[in-house]
Amino acid sequence: MKKRHQQKLAVLALLLLVALNIPIVLLFDNSDNFLGLPVIYVYVFSVWLFSIIISFIIVQRYYE
Amino acid sequence: MNSFYLLLILLIYLGFLFLIAHWAEKKANSKWTNNAYIYSLSLAVYCTAWTYYGSIGVAANSGLGYLPIYIGPIIIIPAWIIILKKIIRISRANKISSIADFISLRYGNSRFLGAIVTVVCLTGILPYIALQLKAISETFHLVTKTTTSSLIFNDTTTYVAVALALFSSYYGTRYVDASEKRKGIVTAVAIESILKLVFFIIVGVYVTFFVFDGFDDIYKQASLLENFRKKNSIGGLEQGLNWFFLSMLSLFAIFLLPRQFQMAVVENNRERHIKTAIWLFPLYLLLFNIFVYPIAWGGNVLFKGFAANADTYSLLIPQHFGNTFLTILVFLGGFSAAISMIVVSSISLSIMLSNNLLIPYTFLGKLRSEEQFINNKKIVNIRKFGIFLLIISAYFIYRFFALDYSLVSIGLISFVIIAQLAPSFFGAIFWRRGSRLGAIYSILIGFFICIYTLVIPYTIGISNQESVFITDGLFQIKLLKPFQLFGLDYLQPVPHALFWSLLFNSLAYFSISVSFKGNYRERNYAEMYVDIDKYSNKHENAFVWKGTAYTTDIEKVLVRFLGIERTKRALNIFNVKYNVDKDQELADARLVKFAENLLTGHIGTASARILISSVVKEEKVTLPEVLKILEESKENIIINKKLIETSKELQVITAKLQKANEKLVLKDQQKDEFLDTVTHELRTPITAIRAASEILHDDSEIPEDLKKQFLQNIISESDRLNRLIDKILDLEKFETGKQTINPQKNNLINTIENAIEPLNQLLKNKNIKIVLESERTLFAFYEDDRIIQVITNLVSNAIKFCPEIEGIITIQVQQKDNFISTTIIDNGKGIHPNDFEIIFDKFYQASNQNFKKPVGSGLGLAICKQIIEHHKGKIWVNPSPKGASLTFTLPINNTI
Repeated sequence: MKKRHQQKLAVLALLLLVALNIPIVLLFDNSDNFLGLPVIYVYVFSVWLFSIIISFIIVQRYYE
Repeated sequence: MNSFYLLLILLIYLGFLFLIAHWAEKKANSKWTNNAYIYSLSLAVYCTAWTYYGSIGVAANSGLGYLPIYIGPIIIIPAWIIILKKIIRISRANKISSIADFISLRYGNSRFLGAIVTVVCLTGILPYIALQLKAISETFHLVTKTTTSSLIFNDTTTYVAVALALFSSYYGTRYVDASEKRKGIVTAVAIESILKLVFFIIVGVYVTFFVFDGFDDIYKQASLLENFRKKNSIGGLEQGLNWFFLSMLSLFAIFLLPRQFQMAVVENNRERHIKTAIWLFPLYLLLFNIFVYPIAWGGNVLFKGFAANADTYSLLIPQHFGNTFLTILVFLGGFSAAISMIVVSSISLSIMLSNNLLIPYTFLGKLRSEEQFINNKKIVNIRKFGIFLLIISAYFIYRFFALDYSLVSIGLISFVIIAQLAPSFFGAIFWRRGSRLGAIYSILIGFFICIYTLVIPYTIGISNQESVFITDGLFQIKLLKPFQLFGLDYLQPVPHALFWSLLFNSLAYFSISVSFKGNYRERNYAEMYVDIDKYSNKHENAFVWKGTAYTTDIEKVLVRFLGIERTKRALNIFNVKYNVDKDQELADARLVKFAENLLTGHIGTASARILISSVVKEEKVTLPEVLKILEESKENIIINKKLIETSKELQVITAKLQKANEKLVLKDQQKDEFLDTVTHELRTPITAIRAASEILHDDSEIPEDLKKQFLQNIISESDRLNRLIDKILDLEKFETGKQTINPQKNNLINTIENAIEPLNQLLKNKNIKIVLESERTLFAFYEDDRIIQVITNLVSNAIKFCPEIEGIITIQVQQKDNFISTTIIDNGKGIHPNDFEIIFDKFYQASNQNFKKPVGSGLGLAICKQIIEHHKGKIWVNPSPKGASLTFTLPINNTI
């Protein structure tokens, strides 16, 4: 894998660090019902799923 | 459930694991055991009974707090492509078999540092193993509805512990070289990972959709409970800080936990398996977490008002509804989660214990003088003993210290202790200046603060709730309160301890590293670690060493551990790799490093160095010298790379030149042939003219009609000569590019008809039928006169080759994409496939004298080709069973 594509994953890690930590995570700090789960759970799980999809796409496309 | 039956099920399950391990060891190289999925799943050893039961307990009692344990790994896993890859490369190059090896080798192969890391890991992990045993025991009694027996022999967990110790010591120590892959263990753990996930999801679905009516139903009922809102939100900045520290804690743990290091680095077979792990492992964790909330809050709703242990909701709920089968499934899932952690942890700890503590400090002297067979046996026995010792001590911790804490709290304490390795670990791979002293002090200081702020208060808390130490601090100094050190009172105990310990830990690491100069060996390894990509192929080159060493001395040491045969084989590989003469007496730095590496897997890095340095005489190298040598070797590597690149370029250029030369030679030959043919062709008419004129000149008495005949010959031969010269000039103009064409939009059908018209008489004479298959109008972009020339030529050729009876010529015109293709087919004798290309050569017929020479200049097709190509079309021969078939194409507009 080229360095440039590796760095895409590193940037993803940085994004996740920001998205899943204070202060951003506190913006979604809410226990209202969303799809049967408190909003905060739904937020964390969506970011989580998003990171899986993006990593999957990057490694499938650029790992040689 | 009867405890006898459950015990039977457990035995069957353990037997199943033995079978899997056995099968995997046998098929160690098959793609079933050696693939990216097994690797990714084996990483799920991260999910212990803590995940399985503890998360639910936390989610039910205090809410979101269990999530940060997974957030850390999720954040860092994408960066594995850089960090983990680097760690794997370093470990492979240096035959590293544990995290203690990894850290101690980097800081100058320090025996003391390796021992410290081992002690830290033991302190952190042993109680954690004890907790897993406790979870097994508790859930066992819950399922069988029995109470814990005070007699060791009546306690099922005793037998489970013994069985696990047997399993780990058998499959964990099959190879003396600890860096060998343990396929049996890895495959068994991967299978267990699947089982625990599947069972957990089954109970999750059961609770959510069968006990309750979906997520919404649980939410509605749970939201009526006390504190629901408070528990299902982070709740402000202070709690947010706890969240942040816990996620950082788990981020470190995913690298540093001995079992994770074992699975992710030591057992890694191929670097490219990371590719799958990067998405599969987070997906695994996500699936594991989705049902934690519904089970926890479903449990809270169901057991409201009862004193039920929330950790065991996943068992209590199916039991509450009398679903024994599901209860057993859940129990088995928790059991696999616990035992895979116990097995892998005990193996990795026992390697550290043997390679970094026992052998270098005690056994090394004895091993030095023994035979290989005995040595190997001893080493394996030390490890087996280590595994038993670890599991048994964990068992006694569980039995004799009433562990009142929930799974999570002990788990987190062990995380914090292990996290003390973080600064020296990450410094090792990214910071050249990190030094041995810095690493030693940082770990010691951090470890001490952990003991003070977590281990001591928790140990006191077990026996005595009211402790002056906890409430008032050491010597009653308020600032020294273990849970509110220096007055920091808004963090929970674990994040609090993490903050202070890591703060002082990192401060020590960085400040000592920059204040004191490290020795040359540290710096040498620092370069190797940080720049591993440069050295990964021939990393022995990066080892700086000066002194005198004899190959035979080194060989003798190796033989004691590897045996004669393996030593010979290894040295052969070395000689081939570095192109060293096998009779060379003096060993160089590369051989010293190579020998150390060979021993490292057996006895650990520190002992390997001690052994090798006992047979060689090392001279001290100064730090600047190390740097200079490394700089040189780096430059050499770069220069080498450049040289290789240039020589590759040169090769390409040479190949090109050779091709060009070949072409030129061919062209030259063609030119000669051309000149030959031209002279020949020109001479034929001239000879005829000369002969006729000579006769006319010499003999004045020729009859009038004969004279006319001769004159007629002279005229026709001159014409032929003229045509030939015209054609040669024409061709020359095209070939040199002097000829230009003026293409316009024309109806090709008209052009074809115009071309055929003058030939009609000839066709009639030879009795040849001509058929035009096309639409009425087809416009193309070309110069009319030139294309008439082409068609005339092709049709005349066709006429020439048509049989004498029933000759037929077909002209097909059709549009294909942006081109109009015209095909002219006759039913003559056809063209030999070998000649498809060369018939377009000049004087083709001349070089093909086998058959009777037909009439014509031999330039017609060559000119046709030039004309068509100047129109940006193509001309070629179609393979056909009978007759010849030639096609040319013309563009339909001038944009092509």
